[in-house]
Amino acid sequence: MANSMGDILHLLRKRPRLVVMAGLAILAVLTAEHLQISGPSLSRGWENLLIILSEAWPPDFSVLTNRASWANPACNFESDMLCSPAFIGLVQTLEIAFLATLFGALISLPLATMAAHNLSPLWLSTATRNLLAGLRVLPSLIWALLFVIVVGIGPLAGVLAMTLYTIGYLGKLQYEALEGVGKHPLEVARAMGLSRPVVARYFAIPEASNALISQILFMFEYNVRHGSVVGLVGAGGIGWYMQYYIAPFKLYDRVLALLIVLYFTVVIIDFISLRIRHRFIESEEIRKPRWRDVFLPQK
Amino acid sequence: MSESTPILTLSQVSIGFPGELPLLTGIDFEAYAGEVIGLVGVSGIGKTTFLRTLAGQVPLMAGDVEIFGFDDIRSAPRGSIGYIPQRLGLVHHRTVGYNVLMGALPRASRWQTLLALPSSEMRQATRAAVAAVDLEDKILEPISQLSGGQQRRVAVARSLVQCPRLLLADECLGELDITTSEVVAEQLIHLAHEQGACVILVDHSPVRLKVLCDRVFELRQGTIREDEPDHLRLPMA
Repeated sequence: MANSMGDILHLLRKRPRLVVMAGLAILAVLTAEHLQISGPSLSRGWENLLIILSEAWPPDFSVLTNRASWANPACNFESDMLCSPAFIGLVQTLEIAFLATLFGALISLPLATMAAHNLSPLWLSTATRNLLAGLRVLPSLIWALLFVIVVGIGPLAGVLAMTLYTIGYLGKLQYEALEGVGKHPLEVARAMGLSRPVVARYFAIPEASNALISQILFMFEYNVRHGSVVGLVGAGGIGWYMQYYIAPFKLYDRVLALLIVLYFTVVIIDFISLRIRHRFIESEEIRKPRWRDVFLPQK
Repeated sequence: MSESTPILTLSQVSIGFPGELPLLTGIDFEAYAGEVIGLVGVSGIGKTTFLRTLAGQVPLMAGDVEIFGFDDIRSAPRGSIGYIPQRLGLVHHRTVGYNVLMGALPRASRWQTLLALPSSEMRQATRAAVAAVDLEDKILEPISQLSGGQQRRVAVARSLVQCPRLLLADECLGELDITTSEVVAEQLIHLAHEQGACVILVDHSPVRLKVLCDRVFELRQGTIREDEPDHLRLPMA
């Protein structure tokens, strides 16, 4: 017995990876048990999923042709297609993402210069970083819930929610890019006696401009994807139309059609953004992006 | 050429990075308007740190400084100190014209800085400086598309526009072809002898410094001493 225990301990010492994997497995089981995740509840979920899938298939693409008379805000075009839930929802999602990215970038850039250690005194950068972290604490969905309560159902709540989240998220990316700027241009500017805001505006931001533009485009992509999520709580966009079909009517075939439309839109935007961002990436060795790069990670 | 009152005086100054042993100690040094001063010394001796200290980028470890009548380098009037680091400190994603124009920023008004609207004098000075370093045909090209020598000329042109009273140039003549080296050196000497600036030039070549400078200092064994140019050790033939 003592011998076999010794063998096990010897094996564990020789294979530390085995110990880590066993530890993780035990932790996973204990966590699932604490959350009361059980086999029966999983199988029940599976059954429900099959029911939803059977009701969703085939997708009902009338969402692209039928007029949404209940649209919010109301659609005044004569063409039914231009006033269809898919079209209105998609355009609203893109508009929300555009405005949130624009306002977010305009506000986050000055904040990022204040948060960058190489451009601001320690007290200011620490305070600004805490503010940006605070904005990131709540996901855009929770911000949307708050703004739906404050300004009511509609795209305004979505724009406000996603602008706040954009400031927090983009601000962090931007101050990291600004801190990556070489010290030499900044030293030249400081030796001239220029003030911190002037050093940031004329030396640091232009030097980091490629990274900053690339991050703004990435944020737009991100906001288009999340624009559909905030709609689920009433903050406008295609998500609001999905929620309209799910909650009272359970029209999963129309929801699936909207999801397919959204999927292709996101893929197209990802590709366009990838192509534009490629122009701003400095390394000459990076090849031109292709369609498959949207789906697969780049080497 | 030199005025009687120095524009820069260092008394018993120690130079180095906070928390580390000083690189240079007991420095007594004076610089006058209108002279070109050479600094020579082996790699790692502290030449660049010396210049960065004079540029206000590294705090003094000990000793006193007086610059343009002020007792703190950071109190020096705006635009009075020009600095060309070894890596030039150019904004790579902007054009030659943009980088040279940056030299005029210290004398821009608040509104001009805020609205990014340079005066016609600033634009004219930029064009003249670009012409002085023979880069007129490159004025709209981004820095990243220039050769190393051309980039050095841009950094010098930026200092010409700034027209500082003290210019600190770190190895800005190194690795240049003879023609480019002559163009750059000519402009630095012009800045000192014609416009009354003091130029402190760091270089590895004692021969070049002997030719260009009014006075040459050598950094050796943790301190700085003035050498007659003839006494400088010349490289092995």
